[in-house]
Amino acid sequence: MTQPATGRSLGLLVCLDCRATVRDVQAVHSRCPRCHARLHRRKPHSLVITTILVVCAAALYVPANVLPVMDTRTIFDDERDTIMSGVLVLLDSGSWPIALLVFIASIVVPLLKILALGVLLYTAWRRSPRRRLQRSRLFRMVEFIGRWSMLDIYAISLLATLVQVQSFANVIVGWGAWAFAAVVVLTLLAARTFDERLLWDTPPHE
Amino acid sequence: MPGVIVCPACDLAHRLTAAPAGGRRQCARCRAPLQRPENASIDTAIALAVCALVLLMLSNAYPLVAMHVNGSSRDTTLIGAAIGLYVQGFESLAALVFLTTVVAPLLQIMTLLYVLVPLRRGRRAPGQNPVLRVLARVRPWNFMEVFMLGALVALVRLSNFAHIAAGVSLWSCALLMLCLSALSSVTSTDQLWRWVEGSRP
Repeated sequence: MTQPATGRSLGLLVCLDCRATVRDVQAVHSRCPRCHARLHRRKPHSLVITTILVVCAAALYVPANVLPVMDTRTIFDDERDTIMSGVLVLLDSGSWPIALLVFIASIVVPLLKILALGVLLYTAWRRSPRRRLQRSRLFRMVEFIGRWSMLDIYAISLLATLVQVQSFANVIVGWGAWAFAAVVVLTLLAARTFDERLLWDTPPHE
Repeated sequence: MPGVIVCPACDLAHRLTAAPAGGRRQCARCRAPLQRPENASIDTAIALAVCALVLLMLSNAYPLVAMHVNGSSRDTTLIGAAIGLYVQGFESLAALVFLTTVVAPLLQIMTLLYVLVPLRRGRRAPGQNPVLRVLARVRPWNFMEVFMLGALVALVRLSNFAHIAAGVSLWSCALLMLCLSALSSVTSTDQLWRWVEGSRP
C-alpha cells in the first residue's frame, strides 16, 4: 500500500492558529509567516502533558462526586447535596427531563471524557495503527461535548447567589463543586493539548 | 504555500481543487471539516458583534432572575453569579464563571470589532496578528449556551420553594447566546484570514 501524502512527507506544516499551510523550514523557533504564531510539527510534549491532565482529572473525579457540591441550610434542616443527590432532588420534584439532562451533563459526560481520553492516550502511546477513524471521531466527540459539563457549576453559582434569605434559607457552595469544576477544566485542557495527528502518524498495517 | 491544504486533524495533504458543491470540504481520511462555505460579509460580522455587545451590556445591567420568598426578594445579574461565588470564598470558581460568561464573550466581541472595523475600510489595525491570536485562544472559552441551560436548571430547582420571576437579562442572555453563535459561524478562522488577505494594499 502506498503511503498517503501528508504534511510531514511533503515538508508542510499547518499553523494551528490561522490554519495557513506553511513550508517546514526546520528552524527551532519558526513562526507562521501569516499570523506570527509559533509553529510546531506536532503540539509540543502533547502526550506527556495530556496524560498528566487526565490523571489529575481522574483523581479529582472521586471528590467531585463524593463531597457535597452544595449545602442548603434552612430553619428546618441542613441538606448537603452531592451531584448525584442533586439529580435525585430534581427527579423527586417531577422534572425528569431536567434531571436526565443534569445526570448526563454532570455524571455521564465527565466519566466518558476521562475514559475516552484514556483510551486515546493509551493507543497513541502504543502507536496503534488500528481503528484510526473511529478514534479520531471519538476525539472530536470529546471536544464537542466537554463544555456542557459546566452546566451544574452555573446552576450552583446562581443558586448560591440567589438563595441568601437571612435566617430562612442559605445555599453554601461545597468543595465538591470546586473539585468538579477542576475535573471539567482539566479535561477541557487535556482535549486542547492532545494532538489528534498523533493518531494518524503510524502508517496502517505494518 | 498555495494549491495544497493540510488537514489540521490528521496531517493528510489535499490538493486544492474547485470548491465542491455547497463549499463544504471534508478531510478524505479523518472526515474532519477542512473548509466551510464562506459567504458572509464583513458588514454582517460587524453588525452581529455590535448587537452582541449591546446584549452583553444589557445582560449585566438588568437582573437575570428574581426570587421572592417570605416577603423578601433577591435578584442577580449575569455578573452576579460570579460575585456570589467570590463572596463565599470560592475565588477560583468565581474566576472561572466570570471568565466563561463575561470575559470570554466580551473579549471575543471587542477583538473582532478591533480587527474588522479597520479591515472594512481596507486598513489593518495596529497589532492585528496578536489580537487575532488572542481571539483564537479565547473563543473556545465562551460558554454562554451552557450558562443558559445551567440557569434553567437553577430555576427549576428554585421554583419548588420560591416564586421566581424571569428578568430582562434572561431574555437578553438568550439573544446574546444566539448572536454569539451566529457571530462565531460567520467569523471562522479561515474567513477572518481571507478578509485580512483581501485587504492587502
